[in-house]
Amino acid sequence: MQQQGGWFQRLLQAGRGHGGMFSALLWAVGLLSLPALAFGADVAPAAATEYRDIPYIGSRNLVWVVAQLHLLLAGFVLGVPIFAWLCEVVAWKTGEKRYDKLAKEFTKLLTSAYATTALFGGILLFLLISFYPKLMNYLTDIFFPSFIVYCLLFLVETATLYLYWYGWDAMQDGHKKTFHIFLGFMLNFFAFFIMIVPNSWATFQASPVVLAEGSDIARAWAATWNPTWWPVNIHRLIANVVLGGYICGAYAGIRYLSARNAEERDHYDWMGYVGNFIGVFGLLPLPFAGYWLMREIYQYNQQMGITLMGGFLSWLFILQAMLIGVLFLGSNYYFWLGITYRIPGSELKYRKSMLSMLIILLLCLGVWMTPHSLVASLEEARKMGGTHHPLLGVFGVMSAKMTVSNLMILVTFMSFIMYWRAGKEETAGWAKAAKALMSALLVLAGIAVVVLGVWGYFVPAIIRINYFSTSQVMIVLFVMLTITPLTALLLKSAKTTTEMVWGKMPPRAGYALVLNAIMVILLMTLMGYARSSSRVHWHVYGVLRDSSQYAFSPALGYAAGIMALNTFLFCMIVAFIFWVATMSDKAKASHS
Amino acid sequence: MSEVVKLQLIGLAVVGSGALILLLVRAQFVRVIGFVAIVLGLFTLTALSVPQMASLPPVEEKFDIATVKTPTDMATIGQKIFFSKGQCALCHTIGPSESARCPDLKGIGAKLSREFLFESLTQPQAYIYLDYRHEGQPKEYPARMPYINKNPIGLSKNEILSVIAFLQQMSGEPISVSVAELEVPGQAPAAPVKVAQSGPVAVAQAH
Repeated sequence: MQQQGGWFQRLLQAGRGHGGMFSALLWAVGLLSLPALAFGADVAPAAATEYRDIPYIGSRNLVWVVAQLHLLLAGFVLGVPIFAWLCEVVAWKTGEKRYDKLAKEFTKLLTSAYATTALFGGILLFLLISFYPKLMNYLTDIFFPSFIVYCLLFLVETATLYLYWYGWDAMQDGHKKTFHIFLGFMLNFFAFFIMIVPNSWATFQASPVVLAEGSDIARAWAATWNPTWWPVNIHRLIANVVLGGYICGAYAGIRYLSARNAEERDHYDWMGYVGNFIGVFGLLPLPFAGYWLMREIYQYNQQMGITLMGGFLSWLFILQAMLIGVLFLGSNYYFWLGITYRIPGSELKYRKSMLSMLIILLLCLGVWMTPHSLVASLEEARKMGGTHHPLLGVFGVMSAKMTVSNLMILVTFMSFIMYWRAGKEETAGWAKAAKALMSALLVLAGIAVVVLGVWGYFVPAIIRINYFSTSQVMIVLFVMLTITPLTALLLKSAKTTTEMVWGKMPPRAGYALVLNAIMVILLMTLMGYARSSSRVHWHVYGVLRDSSQYAFSPALGYAAGIMALNTFLFCMIVAFIFWVATMSDKAKASHS
Repeated sequence: MSEVVKLQLIGLAVVGSGALILLLVRAQFVRVIGFVAIVLGLFTLTALSVPQMASLPPVEEKFDIATVKTPTDMATIGQKIFFSKGQCALCHTIGPSESARCPDLKGIGAKLSREFLFESLTQPQAYIYLDYRHEGQPKEYPARMPYINKNPIGLSKNEILSVIAFLQQMSGEPISVSVAELEVPGQAPAAPVKVAQSGPVAVAQAH
């Protein structure tokens, strides 16, 4: 103010120096502007707009569709580089050129896929700023330092992608190849940070940590490192590997179905095998990451945990069980088809095991899908003595569900090992002992998981959650981490008795791959709805309330309609990306 | 026609279109789209067959002091808050239930003093829960009860007093909360509720 006063005095003095003309002019302007000032004083400052809407579709639905598509595309563009890099490393280590070709084929998708993802990200940002200005103001105020970091990450990620993709052919030999592998690693390294930075914004909304004081960086850092940030980071990282693997599988499945010659059939059959393999590889530890996330949510806020698992979202988990169950069944079915058609002679050897595994999987799925409370009429409820079925009610509780989910993981792991070992004969002297040890481990682990599950009915919930459920998880993880390296070691010296025959799979194998990919995408859309709905009527849980007309979570049926639409749109976008990326290859192939 | 029926019809139409495509079309890519349509339609139909519950924001109980004449009026408001904004019924039951997650509140108004109830709602960590269900020494657990007077639930003092009135009433106890204790907006608050004396951490007996 002092400065302004001084400036005004100097101006008046300067005016006096010019014969007072300038002073008079200033006074005249001042007097003329007085009515305007009076008029301005009558107008109250306009209230800031909190929400905007659009007719027919509704702002929330539009944001839902665009955000979901952006997230699915982001999962795809973060999953594919992991998938491609793993394939490139396998090719580098084993010398199998087809893995390198596969890696290149998928990296080719990335440039167009990145652009599409960024396009949807940009649309989402504009929609959020337009429809939710209050929320975006609040989030910007807290997170603006990480916005800058996010932009920088995009720059380095894009530069690395260009080098990785355009340098593929130029960096094929010797040290250049090593450098290319390093570039692939860096691509995934930056991509990981590109994933976790926006994760912090989303998880902050569910489990906010708000510092009232401190520097911008301190506030942003506290908000970033919120209780559910790392569980979501790990869960999404694994889920992206699963998505990448199964999308590759689905692509291979479609190309296999429409293959025109034996060479194409061989190639896409093999590609489907690799995609399913990587998908299952990620799928097995995924439930553990989900369990950790739920635990953290309960630790952070029990009401939020109960809203998710026991409140209005409880039926969502029956749907989730159905989708995961179909995914497990689809993945196992594809393994079993592989054993039957790709490894002649193995079918007889493994038929009984496959049948037993199918029965176990179906029984487990039945238990997992049993709801806690049944939908019953008043009369039916009276007959049952409540909404719990006298017999089936036992399966509706967490103890039963944790047990069957662990058993399903064990069975799928067995399928995986069975497929790996089929058509090979172990020659190592210690092979018999190793096989006996692996069988004993599997059987004992299965028994231990069931015993802990049954015991869980007789102890308080806190004991079951803290000790029994975690023990079940640790047992299954232990089995996987023991048997996998042991099998790898055993097969290193094994003799191949039956060579794999590619291109002989029936068409239903292609549909099984497509089904698996659809299940994964639906699961992502379903759990996105769960995560968002767990905040109930809060934009930022307990801090910033949603006061719009959309401050409610729609019922599952309506939500499932939007999820199905999102899944369909995403599949069409990915199909378009594949079509565009492979257009020139097809043209080249038809000319040659 | 309800929204659910409309959505079911759309779901059936999607499944039917998918089936027609698989039956009539030979082009593989289109057949895969038909297959995907069947899967997505079946998923939506399954989701529509489970109970349809939307989560609505809690209805704000209008606390017009002028209309509250007796402690029974407070208990009536308290009952509504108990089952809505207070979210008490999310975890607690009144009477034994198979789905109970937290202590059964039947008769709680007779077991505990109003000061203790107020403190349990506003300073839930002041006491440690003691579980006698095991053999040997009872085990201690910290209370997992949220702070009811803070967000996300954020009940006002008047609302908490009304819930206490309801808990006392449903326990068959005379309501010890009086209308005079209610805070009138814009006026100086009434005398604070006496809080139970406690050490740094006390142990509450569960049974």
